[in-house]
Amino acid sequence: MKRYAILLDDTFCTGCNSCAYRCIQEFRYHDQASKGLFRTFVQINDDGLYQKRCMHCLEPDCVENCPVKALTKSEYGPVLYDAKKCIGCQTCVRVCKFHVPQFDADTKKIVKCSMCAHRINDDKKPACVEICPTGALQFGEYEAMKKLATKTAKEKKLKLYGYEENGGTHLFVLAKEDPVKFGYPKVAKKALKGKAALDGELGVPALAALAVVGFKKYSERRTRLETRTEKEKK
Amino acid sequence: MEEKFSMKRRSFLKLAGAAGVATAMTAFPFRNMRAAWAFGDHPQEQLPYRITKRVPQVCARACEADCAYNVVVGVDPATGLERALTLEGRPEDPVSNGKFCIKGMGFVDSMYDPDRLMVSLKRTNKTKGTDVDPGWIIMKTEDAVNEIIARMKTYKPEEILMASPGDPYTNRLCQSIGCTRSDQRTECFGTHYYINCLTLTNPPNKFYSSCYTPSHHVCGYDYDTCKYQVWFGFDSFSKCGKAGMLNHWAAGKRNGGKIVMFNPVRTPMTDNFASEYYAIKPGTDLAVALAMINQIMAGKKYNKEFMTKYSDGAALVDVEKQTHLKTADGMFLAWSVKNKKAEPIDECDDPALDGSYTVTLDGRQIKAKTVLQLLAEATKTYTPQWAAKISDVPAKAISKIARDFAAAAPYALIPTYKRDAAGPNYANSWRLRHAIQILNSLAGSIDHEGGMLLLHDVKIPWIDEISPPALPYPEQPSQPVDFRNEFPVTDDIYRKKDFSAPGHYGMVGWGLYKTNRAKVAFFRNPHRGLFAMIHSQMFEAASQKLELVVDWNLYLDDLGYFCDYVVPAPHQFEEGKMDLRLYYPKYPCIVGGSPVQKSPGDQIGWGGFAMKIGLAMAPKYWTTDGSGNPAKKIPTNMGDVAVKKAGIADSAADFMKKGGFWIDKKAYQNYKQIEQIGYGKPRGRVKMYINEFAEVGHSPLPVWHARWHETTGDYKFSLLITRAPWHMHADPNFINNPVLKEVTVRNYMDTVWINPEAAAKLGLKEGDAVILANDPTYMKDLPRPQKAKVHLTKRITRNDCVLLFHGIGHRAKNLKVAANFGYRDGDLIPQKDPAMLKKFDPTGMGWVEDVFVSIKKM
Repeated sequence: MKRYAILLDDTFCTGCNSCAYRCIQEFRYHDQASKGLFRTFVQINDDGLYQKRCMHCLEPDCVENCPVKALTKSEYGPVLYDAKKCIGCQTCVRVCKFHVPQFDADTKKIVKCSMCAHRINDDKKPACVEICPTGALQFGEYEAMKKLATKTAKEKKLKLYGYEENGGTHLFVLAKEDPVKFGYPKVAKKALKGKAALDGELGVPALAALAVVGFKKYSERRTRLETRTEKEKK
Repeated sequence: MEEKFSMKRRSFLKLAGAAGVATAMTAFPFRNMRAAWAFGDHPQEQLPYRITKRVPQVCARACEADCAYNVVVGVDPATGLERALTLEGRPEDPVSNGKFCIKGMGFVDSMYDPDRLMVSLKRTNKTKGTDVDPGWIIMKTEDAVNEIIARMKTYKPEEILMASPGDPYTNRLCQSIGCTRSDQRTECFGTHYYINCLTLTNPPNKFYSSCYTPSHHVCGYDYDTCKYQVWFGFDSFSKCGKAGMLNHWAAGKRNGGKIVMFNPVRTPMTDNFASEYYAIKPGTDLAVALAMINQIMAGKKYNKEFMTKYSDGAALVDVEKQTHLKTADGMFLAWSVKNKKAEPIDECDDPALDGSYTVTLDGRQIKAKTVLQLLAEATKTYTPQWAAKISDVPAKAISKIARDFAAAAPYALIPTYKRDAAGPNYANSWRLRHAIQILNSLAGSIDHEGGMLLLHDVKIPWIDEISPPALPYPEQPSQPVDFRNEFPVTDDIYRKKDFSAPGHYGMVGWGLYKTNRAKVAFFRNPHRGLFAMIHSQMFEAASQKLELVVDWNLYLDDLGYFCDYVVPAPHQFEEGKMDLRLYYPKYPCIVGGSPVQKSPGDQIGWGGFAMKIGLAMAPKYWTTDGSGNPAKKIPTNMGDVAVKKAGIADSAADFMKKGGFWIDKKAYQNYKQIEQIGYGKPRGRVKMYINEFAEVGHSPLPVWHARWHETTGDYKFSLLITRAPWHMHADPNFINNPVLKEVTVRNYMDTVWINPEAAAKLGLKEGDAVILANDPTYMKDLPRPQKAKVHLTKRITRNDCVLLFHGIGHRAKNLKVAANFGYRDGDLIPQKDPAMLKKFDPTGMGWVEDVFVSIKKM
């Protein structure tokens, strides 16, 4: 199955929150939203717009730490949440570096984006992406979105967030300034891990080249050692 | 032995290395734990609801973009019942291109608002007020309507005020009764509407029954392909939410279009769509616009072809009488350079664009100048340096903007409608609106791709067209309660040309309070009501002496507490619709909508209500033969006539069966529409010189004038008003929505915004409670200071203004979410004495932000 990602170009966002409301209508969580628990929400801050939503990390801390595996990382990108399994321990709330999961004290469950997993199989974009009136939100194959994000960042001299934060995510944010300035959490960057590190045009060939060079060097060293041994014998 | 082992080891290592590379090239992850399951097994991979149908609709009353979309109806997983759940775009709609906004979605949920009015209410306690128990009794709507009509019949027509926008039914009703129609759209569209009428097209015209279409404009704008735009306060927070325009602005941005923005507020639109931004001093945009005209005229950088062929630029004006010179049959005259004489403009051989001439007409020697000559003279002293001192916009910037604007023509545009700086915000807004029309004319972007697009080749007729009145309408009141008779320029349009003309909410409260001209007020203002009125406390006080006050509304809101009857209105999704694409009229297009559900209570639609009143009070105008026989009711099937005439369906029902959408994507013919609907003959033109203003002692070309008044003492903060992107006016459909309330609070849009430096000088900190008050010199009656909390933000880019959010501040206790949420901006804006108003403004509009307030910590 393909993997997917969302690209948010903040330079087209106007803070209308149509994405937020469309999500609410899609998942019927009006009660929680009216208490301030949103799966996605745009905060209009002085220095920019902070769109708070799940980053769908490549290696999610919430998945790793959930004691009952209520949170799982899908093959195609989104981190999914099974409310039935959830015991309301709030471990995910504590460990998420992006402060995403929101705990509903009334239901003892969390509120978190699922990247509209139910729409992906029907070749539909997530509801928020579909509705975005300016096209600030885009959705597509992970590689394509990653490539578009890096290309656009370079061409338009924009900052890119979500690329290496926490080892990589499925949400790329482009902005004129560092998004941390206007609300995005400061999360340590780590080299892309696992498959993501190998993915991409250069990843596999680079590793293959590295492996070949490595073995060649090792072989050459063996040869030098053997030759020295031969000479010593003589 | 060793050699053999090392060979084996080398081979092994090579094999291991190759295996490693091969492994890396596969999809198998090294360390990530990914759950593997069949798609659809996980609960979040299952559809949250089951869709049962999609109903086409057209948005109304959220804004005038009128986006077309489908209402998605399905089974609510929470209740198992079928209901409207969300919206889905209609990508074929040239306005929305498949998008819709948070307000449209809010409408879906508001159909089920538990505070919706389901029954008619009648007051039994004569004392009116928000904090007084009205003693409501519930009535059957049919009975309430009959009682209301019986009572209305006891009044003279001039004693009745219909507070309602112009629409086919209201127009027919008020004209047939002979009563005044006045509406709050004055304060949104007033200046735009009237300046368009006076310059662009003489209402009514061949494409629509009224210039005042339900959308209140004659045009849309081609943001997609425009190369250079100048926005005078056009980027309010409310624009941040308008999907029907946002998708076009985004397209324009992607196409490399530039936008220069002037605004003392920096919105997200400014951040992301402005190429240049200037924190202009509020109420001084006129100075910048005049300086732009000065620069374009000085360098003769105007669009010569447009000036010559499609405007009155070359038309000769009698300098003394301040009127265009015309032939006996009404053609503009121009000076032929070749033949050295005045000739009809359309046949003139090489018409002069500037100069002074002596023309002999009807035996009289007349000193005449061309309109362009007069424009150059009128704006001669309005240099960029002069404008810079007034507006705080650097002179160099103004010069460059004027040059760049002219260079991009005709793909250069100044869009304007509703509550931007040229909307009725200031006493000088009508002049700014006129200057903007002239700038768009100088660029030749009126009726041109990349500029202002005019509605053409499509029409939805109004009732008067499909059922002309059997006899002439009675006269309108000579002394209307909104004092519009004191403003002949706009009154003339209302009485003789377009009964939909907005008017005059900025004075109707004053008229109700200070005079006894009206005894009945009927509000057909769903969702607007009291809040639509500036200085609503004036109406509240007046309501005590009014003998009959009626509100037709979706909710019992603040207005209802001052009414004798409140009659429930259907939700907009409970009505059929037919709509033109006025916000993007590049192609003739009609879209239709069907009711999503029957109204759940005892609601009555406006058409039915108006018909009942009309048949009772003015039966001769509501029957086909003037007989008053109810069996001969006039046909009102405007939708049927529209689609049949367009040749696209036999009836509105047939049109909906075919999908409810028709478009003719022929190429837009530049300047063709203005020839057909503009001023002058045989070819119509844009009229820059407004002689009607001269007739009432004002300048026929825009000249500088300051705001209503300057600051006085502590009253030094200019009042700026906007709306949250997810609110529309004071409409409970949005403000009574608990989710939208949360979104508002989290974005501080229930507070008063002030620049941090200005706040520091006042000793204010974030979240402090403050009180805003008016200078009693200008708020002479019934002042009502407002309490609010402050939000310190650099988005207010000047220290001399504060920003308020319109629409909050409901006091009606029955609105469980909206009640006591926020302050009321309108309470800070005085209704105007007509005698004072007409010295400043011949249009008589509301000046909704021409106020200075004090702000003090509580």
